[in-house]
Amino acid sequence: MNAIELSHIHKSFGEFAIRDLCLTVPSGTICGLVGENGAGKSTTIRLLMNALRPDGGTAKVLGVDVTSPEFRAVKEDVGVVLDEAYYPETLTAVQVGKVMAGTYRRWDQGVYEDYLRRFDLPGKKPFKDFSRGMKMKLAIAVALSHQPRLLILDEATSGLDPIVRDEVLEIFNEFTREEDHSILISSHILSDLEKLCDYIAFLHQGELLFCDEKDRLLETYGVFAGTAEQLESLREEAVLGREEARGYGGGRALVRRDEVPAGLELERATIEDIILFMVKGARK
Amino acid sequence: MKALIRKDFYVIWKQMRIFVLVVLFMSMVNTTFNSVFIVIWCSMLPYTAMAYDERSHWNQLAAMMPYSRRDVVLSKYVLGWLCMAASGLLCLAMQTVIGQFSGNATDVPTLLFSLCLGVISLDITLPAVMHFGVERGRMIFMVVIFGVAIGASFVADRVEKLPDFRLPVVILLPLAVIAATAASIPLSMKLYKVN
Repeated sequence: MNAIELSHIHKSFGEFAIRDLCLTVPSGTICGLVGENGAGKSTTIRLLMNALRPDGGTAKVLGVDVTSPEFRAVKEDVGVVLDEAYYPETLTAVQVGKVMAGTYRRWDQGVYEDYLRRFDLPGKKPFKDFSRGMKMKLAIAVALSHQPRLLILDEATSGLDPIVRDEVLEIFNEFTREEDHSILISSHILSDLEKLCDYIAFLHQGELLFCDEKDRLLETYGVFAGTAEQLESLREEAVLGREEARGYGGGRALVRRDEVPAGLELERATIEDIILFMVKGARK
Repeated sequence: MKALIRKDFYVIWKQMRIFVLVVLFMSMVNTTFNSVFIVIWCSMLPYTAMAYDERSHWNQLAAMMPYSRRDVVLSKYVLGWLCMAASGLLCLAMQTVIGQFSGNATDVPTLLFSLCLGVISLDITLPAVMHFGVERGRMIFMVVIFGVAIGASFVADRVEKLPDFRLPVVILLPLAVIAATAASIPLSMKLYKVN
């Protein structure tokens, strides 16, 4: 079963539109949703949770159409962390726990309290006095405390210091050890996604440029660095994006390994390289 | 829905403490104006909770949780009813205690009249606030409260001067409350917007 299935989704906001978005996240996997600010990542998440109605297309989460009445029960199985925590400012972590205990049928107060301790979150401090990192940690604690099968995380690790971020990524990894647990995570921190994800989906200006297995992406692409002449000699189909190096007249290019001459020395492309070169390529 | 009401109570608890003090103080002076004022004032508490929701964008988060549109909308009505009922009971208790010393009788009809007016003002204003938000809905809210206050003093005047007028008010006002609530809740559900 697929955890998430978006099929030919259209949603227009005037100048900006999500166009023909098809995205599938198989159950038991972690999919990273990448894209620049305003690419449509948060809109995609709102469409997935039926907080926005699409103009066309269908969305299914855990096998259920999000517009069906049954989807409300499915939300019990989905832990969501948005780009901000969005709890009313006067609430404390203890009060949030009590509200969530009445919200989710499978709320586990013990697990929640464990996370509060693990994240070193004060129980009685008002939410407005939390730092951004603390707010995100509280949102993550809530998302993980009602026995979800799917986590949808929108910039959930931004604002966390590197040590906590690493710990949170480890928690997400632990979460997917259950074979029916899945994660869709959007982030600007591409190194986190490279560490965590099985699949990478790249959204650019409302269009999905690719959604592929991370390992296949890393195997498919490489970075060629050389002189301007060497770059010019590469076949057009081999090059997905290029940049001029400052100073010495040469440059770098993202290339398909199977489209360049064998023996050409290529650097390993990171997910960040792939995304940046593709954005540059798309701009040209 | 209980969870949402609980959340709102946590959010407005600080305001409620001030409300309780004001209610206690005003209840000592048993006048029609005070009763109406206290109950109508308490009918505004859901808007305080909604203002906090808006400021924190809570509705965006709530849309991700297993709350139905009906839960979100109805919780604000129930919160208003609970606040008004609590303020009415507090008024009544204070009037009873003070009546022991002053010899004044409690004024239950005026309190019931105030509760009906409070519910009707909530019924009129909530759909607009659900749609426009607290900031933009505030103007509509002020106009309605102003209208209800003028209407209430007009009706109260007639009831005192014309004994025959009391019966229609006693029958018509609860009917108006039921009709207004029955129309207002579906309208709010239709107009509710996730900000």
